[in-house]
Amino acid sequence: MRKYIKQIWVHLSHDPLVSSITIIGTALALFLIMLVVMIEQVKYEPFSPESNRDRFMHARFMSVTNAKWGDGSSNGPMSIETAKALYKSLKTPEAVTLYANDNPAVASVAGGTTFVADILQTDADFWKVFDFDFINGAPYGKADFDAGIKEAVIIKSLALRLFGTPDVAGREFMINYTAYKVAGVVKDVSTLASKAYSQIWIPYTCTDVEKNTWSRCGGSFSTTILARRHDDFPKIREEYGKLLALYNKKIGESGWKILSRNRPYIQEKEAFTFSANHEVNMKAKHRDRYIILIILLLVPAINLSSMTQSRLQHRNAEIGVRRSFGCTRREILIDIINENLIITLIAGALGLIMSIAFAYWGTDILFAQPFSNSLSSPTIDTSILLHASTFIYAIVFCFILNLLCSYIPAWRASKTSIINALGGMNH
Amino acid sequence: MNKKLFRQIRNEWKSNLWLIAELLLISVVMWYILDFIYVKASIFYQPRGFDISHCYLLRMGRLDPKSPKYMAKDTTESEDIRNILTRIRHRPEVEAASLSANSYPYNGSNSSTSIRYDTLQNNNWLIRRLVTPDFLRVFKYEGSRGETPSQLASMMDNKSIMASNNIFKKKYHIKLTTLVGKKVIWGDDTTTRYKLAAAYTPVRYDDYSEAYHSYSMLYKLPEGWYTTDNNLELCIRVKPSMDHDFIKKLWKDCERHINTGNVYITNITSFKDVRKKFQQYQSNQIRNFVTGIIFLLLNIFLGLLGTFWFRTQQRRSEIALQMALGSTRRQIFLRQISEGIIILVLASIPAIIIDLNIAYAGLTQYMHGATLQPGRFIITVSATFLISAIMIIIGDWFPARKATKVQPAEALHED
Repeated sequence: MRKYIKQIWVHLSHDPLVSSITIIGTALALFLIMLVVMIEQVKYEPFSPESNRDRFMHARFMSVTNAKWGDGSSNGPMSIETAKALYKSLKTPEAVTLYANDNPAVASVAGGTTFVADILQTDADFWKVFDFDFINGAPYGKADFDAGIKEAVIIKSLALRLFGTPDVAGREFMINYTAYKVAGVVKDVSTLASKAYSQIWIPYTCTDVEKNTWSRCGGSFSTTILARRHDDFPKIREEYGKLLALYNKKIGESGWKILSRNRPYIQEKEAFTFSANHEVNMKAKHRDRYIILIILLLVPAINLSSMTQSRLQHRNAEIGVRRSFGCTRREILIDIINENLIITLIAGALGLIMSIAFAYWGTDILFAQPFSNSLSSPTIDTSILLHASTFIYAIVFCFILNLLCSYIPAWRASKTSIINALGGMNH
Repeated sequence: MNKKLFRQIRNEWKSNLWLIAELLLISVVMWYILDFIYVKASIFYQPRGFDISHCYLLRMGRLDPKSPKYMAKDTTESEDIRNILTRIRHRPEVEAASLSANSYPYNGSNSSTSIRYDTLQNNNWLIRRLVTPDFLRVFKYEGSRGETPSQLASMMDNKSIMASNNIFKKKYHIKLTTLVGKKVIWGDDTTTRYKLAAAYTPVRYDDYSEAYHSYSMLYKLPEGWYTTDNNLELCIRVKPSMDHDFIKKLWKDCERHINTGNVYITNITSFKDVRKKFQQYQSNQIRNFVTGIIFLLLNIFLGLLGTFWFRTQQRRSEIALQMALGSTRRQIFLRQISEGIIILVLASIPAIIIDLNIAYAGLTQYMHGATLQPGRFIITVSATFLISAIMIIIGDWFPARKATKVQPAEALHED
């Protein structure tokens, strides 16, 4: 190992321009690849309060059609009746929560300033599905929810703005000029937790959101299902299929029919779903991702391999000497690839550090979410950004990049005949 | 010298062919990217037909009957809404304030409609905007005959409509200005005729849609629409000199001085934020493309640098020989660079033919309904050539300089 590093240092300092281009090129390639990886990861890697993402299934929308409409359909969030019939009645999952997104609300305390805050109307199971970090108080329970008692969970920064302290459980404030009691205070949530995110959560029984309905099955509600185990998904789908058939039979009497569009979706598919009226083609999305990664790997690899070639040229004599003392071609090949791997790993580490720094510095550019209801910018921390898989990806991509850019030059160098190598000839 | 250069290029055709192939590929990819940027940028900078600077969007809501502030009927909701509008208009910093439904710029909720005149009928997605006259002053709509926003606003009444100048243009090549004053049929109601009061400069749907594809019409917001159920928008233009902390100040006054009856302000947003939020998807896409472009250009540059480095290094003895025979450094330098440029020209000819075919096949971005436009093609192709040439010159520069610095005797000795 030490021998390698010593050797690498000598070779790198022999031609500073080529060496620095090699390192910059590798670091840049890995920097971009890791940015792509990170942008994707925040969508489906778990972090609090969505720590169970691998057990989530979502149905943000429903699609309904009527016998009179032909191919036409009406798409959007569900009515409470539909959501209860199709999802809340599921027995297989650990918990099912229904929630309704709304326009931001006006929050104030008597005699204080007014703030606009994002609000989410939920049921009591919401707190089982998502794991929030309570600083003070506790979530509202099922009894309070059923009774429609006006209670709210708020984030710490809102508590500070309203009351000047986070320990405010039990105190009263106004949401849209209606009084609510603070049930609990939670740590601020990043908008990247796109299902759980809000600044205020209230029981949906407190408002008349249930009355908002359209097209028989349309309303304001979406759902997230927490499966007991990752392998339970097929069982849940099976049960859902039965519920759907039952419900379609019921509404079918007046000509209505729910189109399933293969809902509910797992976390990854949900992250790519923007519109209510068509199903995302995950195969195409995966293909796009692979094409991008291949371009990001191939283009720099072609360039880097010519750099490697140029570096190896200086070493023909050395290779010749080693070969004439009994070193096999295979050994030379492996040595060159290993040597190059160390350079790639060093440059790759540099690229990874660059991408993490950039993720912090350019959070808004990198992670800004389209079609979001909130004006708040996304925030990140290490629990969101860094996962074991992040490092595994980085190392795997380093290996691939290294093989791509060093194999051919190394193979050619090892093939050179001893006489030619010693004579300084190339081919 | 040139003749010699050509002969040399021909003699080394095998290695040159590789280089030509590489440059050909780079040149096509780069042209495609530059064309994409060119189209996006020129659409982005087209006149928008409206102005959102110093503008704010307010939303209104109705109090929950359980709220302590809720008052049993003594005013109607429509009166409350009108009162709020008046109170906002009277604020010293407000230049104009208007009510509207599904009408403000950068808005995804749209209603569509149709306009007919004689045998003419629009065949495109025509957006219906129901607005109070001041809406035109808030967003500075301009008449196609030079009417100012205020003049346009004064022409608005409930017997007439206005429409963007381009609604019949693509289909019939008729500017709507020529029909101003005529009676037209609006929507499904074929019994009533509305006067076309004015035509206005096309108002773009957003920064990434062309005026060419943005069609709209205006009608005065009917009295019956003044309820919170219609999710009306209250748009405000603030005087530029007084546009400081407007949102904060307005929130402070909302509870005591603006909210009336059971109607209250639920949200205040600057149009800068409305625009950013509405276009996030497209701007993310542009971000990805631009990053990709910079990355590709950097790689192309590094690749060319590497290739020329390699070439020049292999030719050290040749360069030394030339120097020994009396060539000056400058001559050698020029020779190296002109060789690169000649190879680039050789690669560019087939590249341009490929580009032309790609554009002709409609695989590039559409602008003004076309993918192949002479001006645009010439600009993007020349820019591609120029950038490649600059990269070749720089890529050739360092290695050539290094090679000419070597003592001829030393370089010749190496072989």
